[in-house]
Amino acid sequence: MNMYLYELKSLRKSTIIWTCAMISLAVLYFSIYPSFVNDAEDVKKLLGGYPAQVRVALGISLDNITSIMGFYTMVFSIITLCGAIQAMIFGTSILSKEARERTADFLLVKPVSRPAIVSAKLLASVTMLLATNVIYYIAVSILISIVKTSDYSVKQFFLINLSLFFLQLMFLAIGLLVSVFFKKLKSVLPISLGTVFGFYIIGVLLATGKEDGVRFISPFKYFDIPYIIKNSSYEVSYLITGTMIVIVAIAASYIIYTKKDIHAVS
Amino acid sequence: MSVIEIKNLTKNYGKARGVNNVSLNVEQGEIFGFIGPNGAGKSTTIRTLLGLIHPTSGSASIFGKSCSESPEVRKEVGYLPSEVFYYDNMRVIDLLKYSASFYKKDCTQRINELAEAMDLDLKKKIDDLSFGNKKKVGIVQGLLHEPKLIILDEPTSGLDPLMQQKFFELIGEENKKGATVFFSSHILGEVQKMCSRVAFIKDGKIIKLEKMSTLQENNYKRISIEGKAAINKEYFNLSGISNLEIKGNVAEFIYKGNINSVLKKISEIELRNISIEEPDLEEIFMHYYTKED
Repeated sequence: MNMYLYELKSLRKSTIIWTCAMISLAVLYFSIYPSFVNDAEDVKKLLGGYPAQVRVALGISLDNITSIMGFYTMVFSIITLCGAIQAMIFGTSILSKEARERTADFLLVKPVSRPAIVSAKLLASVTMLLATNVIYYIAVSILISIVKTSDYSVKQFFLINLSLFFLQLMFLAIGLLVSVFFKKLKSVLPISLGTVFGFYIIGVLLATGKEDGVRFISPFKYFDIPYIIKNSSYEVSYLITGTMIVIVAIAASYIIYTKKDIHAVS
Repeated sequence: MSVIEIKNLTKNYGKARGVNNVSLNVEQGEIFGFIGPNGAGKSTTIRTLLGLIHPTSGSASIFGKSCSESPEVRKEVGYLPSEVFYYDNMRVIDLLKYSASFYKKDCTQRINELAEAMDLDLKKKIDDLSFGNKKKVGIVQGLLHEPKLIILDEPTSGLDPLMQQKFFELIGEENKKGATVFFSSHILGEVQKMCSRVAFIKDGKIIKLEKMSTLQENNYKRISIEGKAAINKEYFNLSGISNLEIKGNVAEFIYKGNINSVLKKISEIELRNISIEEPDLEEIFMHYYTKED
């Protein structure tokens, strides 16, 4: 419990910053929505001038871009990118910081097992991600109720936003797994940004093709927003795969971290 | 039951470093010195003991239990690493309280006592502390839960002589209260003052484990003589003589063995001067150290 509280405290600042950043982005986007709707025809004409691939890559669908859900699809693709970066940074840094800041000799000689340390840190990260999601969801619900011009399905809206949390869990797990392989991980930011952008770009490239199987490569494609809007549910096969990734990555992290040698600082 | 029990401990890191087949026991209430040059394997042994490193073969246990299998035995252990680093953005008192929270007992009074003894400002941020002051935080942190076993890895580096003395007093007090102390160092003088037994480690192997009293009293003599004529190098070809240095009329060496035989030998020379002294630990250590080469 003491470790959990300590880790919560140490993640507090960055959680606040990330949450604020994501909300600000949403505010920025939503602020242009009213003019978007007013000039619906012009906007469609303008966006229609873009190549189809670019539109798909940016999450723009001409048919419903002026509907609030269609518009939010576009907004959400940027939000997921932020969320994924946040989660990946949490994942890669939370265990590795003990070695990086050379505090392993403090924490790891306390009368607690390594699995208990991993659990406390993991739980703190998940709590903070959950907090990010809840606050973001509340903020964006308020925003959407301000700018909406017609009614929308709350269930769909909730499912879309909930997919952010699942995506974050995946990146948290991947980050954790990456970090335990390093003796001393110094470059959290480059690794996190590289991995997330890598998957994002793969996701964008995949989006332009329509093959279903290849979507398994990028976590960003596990939750297809148009599908959620159409069916008000997730695609089960991707949900299962995502869960498997999280479980396997976390289990492997526990095992590797427990067996790891913690070397003296130098 | 021994407090520390290390059996045939081997740890390989690739080729060079590590420890090889180290065995030693530390008994309740002892102050045990662990001596060796840098890179000999002192830290590796200690880190294995604490469960930070897993042994390649053999075992290391504290109170009969391995730290990696039953981490709760570390409740009775206080550890001071050779270099201390703590969460920089914390205040000293917050760090100490965080540390105390792992032991599930109230350590506030103890923290204040120790901080006063070590002259440490609890309200400062760790970031702003000098190296020596960080070390003090480490000492308080290692002792605040009144551990039954204190493990010190080169504890005095960075402390000024006055603080060193204070520190040794503290450790001495803990020892009197019943704590066992395991103490690694490459500075021999500080071990000499405190320890009851001492083990020498070199290139990952224990080369000697002896009682301090035996080491100091048992037959080791530093002998220097000045002859009337030049002394022949071959003359002191006697078993038990080491570190022999001859400069013209003067010869110096360390002798271990029957005093009578060396005195007989010396008496055959016409002497101008002679001195026979207790060698300090450093010389005894160098004696082992060079002999192995």
